Amino acid sequence: MRNVAVIGCGQTKHSGKRRDVNLAEMVGDAVWNALEDAGVAPEEVDAFTVGNMQGFGGVAQPEQWLAEWIGASGKPVLRITTGGSTGASVVHGAYYAVASGLYDIAVATGWEKHSDSKEPGATTGLTHVGLGNTVNQVNCGASLRHLLSMMIVGAAAGVACYQAMYYMHRSGCRIEHLDMVAAKDRRNAAKNKYAHLQWPGCTPEDIARTELVAYPFRFGHICPASDGASALVLASEDVARKRCPKPVWIRGLAAYSDEENQIMSEGGGGIGILDASQQVGATMSAIKAYRMAGIKDPRKEIDLAELYQPFPSQELIFAERIGLFEEGKAWMALERGETDIDGRMPCDVSGGVNATNAIGSSALQRILECALQIRGKAEEHQVPKEVHHAVATAWGGATNYFAVTVLSDSL
Amino acid sequence: MERRVAIVGYAQSHHQQDMPMTREDMVFEVAREALRSAAILREDVDTVITASTDFLDGRTISNLYLSMAVGAYLKDESKVEEDGAFAAYYALMRILSGVHHIALVEGHTQGSVVNPHLVSTYTVDPLFERQYGFLNDISAAAFQARMYMERYGVSEEEIALVSVKNLTNAARNPWAHRKMPDLTVEEVLSSKLYYDPIRELTMSPVSDGACALVLASEEKAGEITDTPVWIEGVGSCSDGYLRDRDICRLDSLRKAALTAYEMAGIRDPSAELDVLEVSEKFAHEELLIYEALGLCPEGKGKTLIAEGVTERQGETPVNPSGGALGADPVCATGLVRLIEAAKQIRGDADAHQVPGVNRALAHGQFGLCAQKNIVFILGSDKK
Repeated sequence: MRNVAVIGCGQTKHSGKRRDVNLAEMVGDAVWNALEDAGVAPEEVDAFTVGNMQGFGGVAQPEQWLAEWIGASGKPVLRITTGGSTGASVVHGAYYAVASGLYDIAVATGWEKHSDSKEPGATTGLTHVGLGNTVNQVNCGASLRHLLSMMIVGAAAGVACYQAMYYMHRSGCRIEHLDMVAAKDRRNAAKNKYAHLQWPGCTPEDIARTELVAYPFRFGHICPASDGASALVLASEDVARKRCPKPVWIRGLAAYSDEENQIMSEGGGGIGILDASQQVGATMSAIKAYRMAGIKDPRKEIDLAELYQPFPSQELIFAERIGLFEEGKAWMALERGETDIDGRMPCDVSGGVNATNAIGSSALQRILECALQIRGKAEEHQVPKEVHHAVATAWGGATNYFAVTVLSDSL
Repeated sequence: MERRVAIVGYAQSHHQQDMPMTREDMVFEVAREALRSAAILREDVDTVITASTDFLDGRTISNLYLSMAVGAYLKDESKVEEDGAFAAYYALMRILSGVHHIALVEGHTQGSVVNPHLVSTYTVDPLFERQYGFLNDISAAAFQARMYMERYGVSEEEIALVSVKNLTNAARNPWAHRKMPDLTVEEVLSSKLYYDPIRELTMSPVSDGACALVLASEEKAGEITDTPVWIEGVGSCSDGYLRDRDICRLDSLRKAALTAYEMAGIRDPSAELDVLEVSEKFAHEELLIYEALGLCPEGKGKTLIAEGVTERQGETPVNPSGGALGADPVCATGLVRLIEAAKQIRGDADAHQVPGVNRALAHGQFGLCAQKNIVFILGSDKK
């Protein structure tokens, strides 16, 4: 098996409206930054993997018109999309492109420019997505029961509400803990110059003062809709050793898909059937990724985690699902400050998706941030300890897509 | 390629205009049949790669409700958002990496739900061309066809010959959508004009359909079947946007083909390939494809079709299945070519079987004027 390393990281400033650049320019910036970081010339790149949420910029197959802007014309380009986990799926695609032996240097890039279309609502749940899906389901002959459950659940935020409630009921976590996660992430984001919602000195009380949107989520809990792009340069071991003083190795990866928690789950009964915080696919992905990476006890061996958490409950849920804390106890670790930037198991020191959510870019940034921390290049939000092994997660679809990626400083 | 990977099973739907079946059922059936044809169980599959697009499926995250249908539950799954041939390419890379051993690949589109030609208007540059509203896949192809005809002196009759060949071939293929056993050039040229010179019978039909393919590493392939079809070469390439290239030449296809030929050790494609299955979304495109694949010099594609070289009984048969003109379920079209090429090698290509096929080429494309292209070279152990 060929070893694959991250040798370059690039991202753009993420914010609510990037009016200074168009989509092609924005993606071009991220790719260029990654190539510059890697010291790789555009003509040296062998292959590209790209992805974003297709409807969200209002352009179908946007890589076709922006091919020239990222230097992809005359090169293989593979478009990979899996909803929220797109960014990670794109990196996995680039990993396999290099690991297959077909290519030596591959660029993975993911982006979103929410402000180009009226899609911010799509991330937070909502009727028009539900409606669009309903029309489609009618075409496919879905039953009234299916349609109703679809309308009730909505998209990501709807599912995340149910998911959070299951978790809180099971573990004893309270809404105050969600305030603590969100405040921590906004504070962390304030140290990350690429992040969107930056709030230096944000306290759980500040978050608690924001309006309750849908229990248990307050306005201050919910991720923004951002414009932004990010990119990674991946290379084979030969190239990485020659070109990069500190390559970050992708040691393990997996993306097991789980049961949909909406209309099509077992018996067609929708979200009522499963515990939406169970997320078996995430656990299975983690087990496989750790096994590939030779990690036996993630609680001891993992130094840092970048968890995909558009909603604060998910930071706690996924930290447990991938074995970083005991079942139902992540919120206690949070209380003890273990997930802080200087804690035992820092989680989302970049601010995570909770502070910055340009969907196609979000899951890619998790892997990118792990790489930056391992290289010691995270600048203001660099953790004080040395990072040898880091893990990144992704979440997409209706709780059914995951991607877990384990990165290390050595082979 | 360091490891060898084989096609060990496949299935496709009866491509048709308005399939009386939900997308879930359609996908489930081809996935089940593909596993059945390989005589393996869902449990044997390591990874599943599907191909569909959000615009064409008319919903956000098009694979969302299809993971269960395709059998990807608790499997390492991903989706490519383009032709299924690219999904096969991704699955191939996953197996070559050594991380996975058996992959299920699936592609589908129900053109009757969301019209693919309408979707194509959303793929043009949103800052300039989209504002004018005149560019879509058909009008872009019309520009391409007209330029090509002017530059190389090709007539509408010569282009119509491609339709006649492919649609009469399709009549012998039980899975094809548009079957016209007695089609003539006159009928092609009197069919409805969309954008001059593109007519109803010189462009692909809007089809509903799905297909699935099982790929396996060499050691697994040996356990599964006595007749593996080996992937001997693969090449993929994307051109720049419409505006940034010469649309009369399929440069990315030329590059993809050269890569695949080199990997498979092919020097003279016309002599060494026994059959070709290509994705010609428009009749004139097949002539451009001949040229890019190196079957003839630039501008000479018309000679091959006029002399019958690419007929089913010709020296270098192209699209004995009827090609994309015979059925075009968009995200399945290229993957169907891979299946048809594999069937030809195995000798189970129904009434459109070409005798004595040992080596075949399959081509998939995506984008306006075939911006992205992928080429596979398949071979058997027979030779």
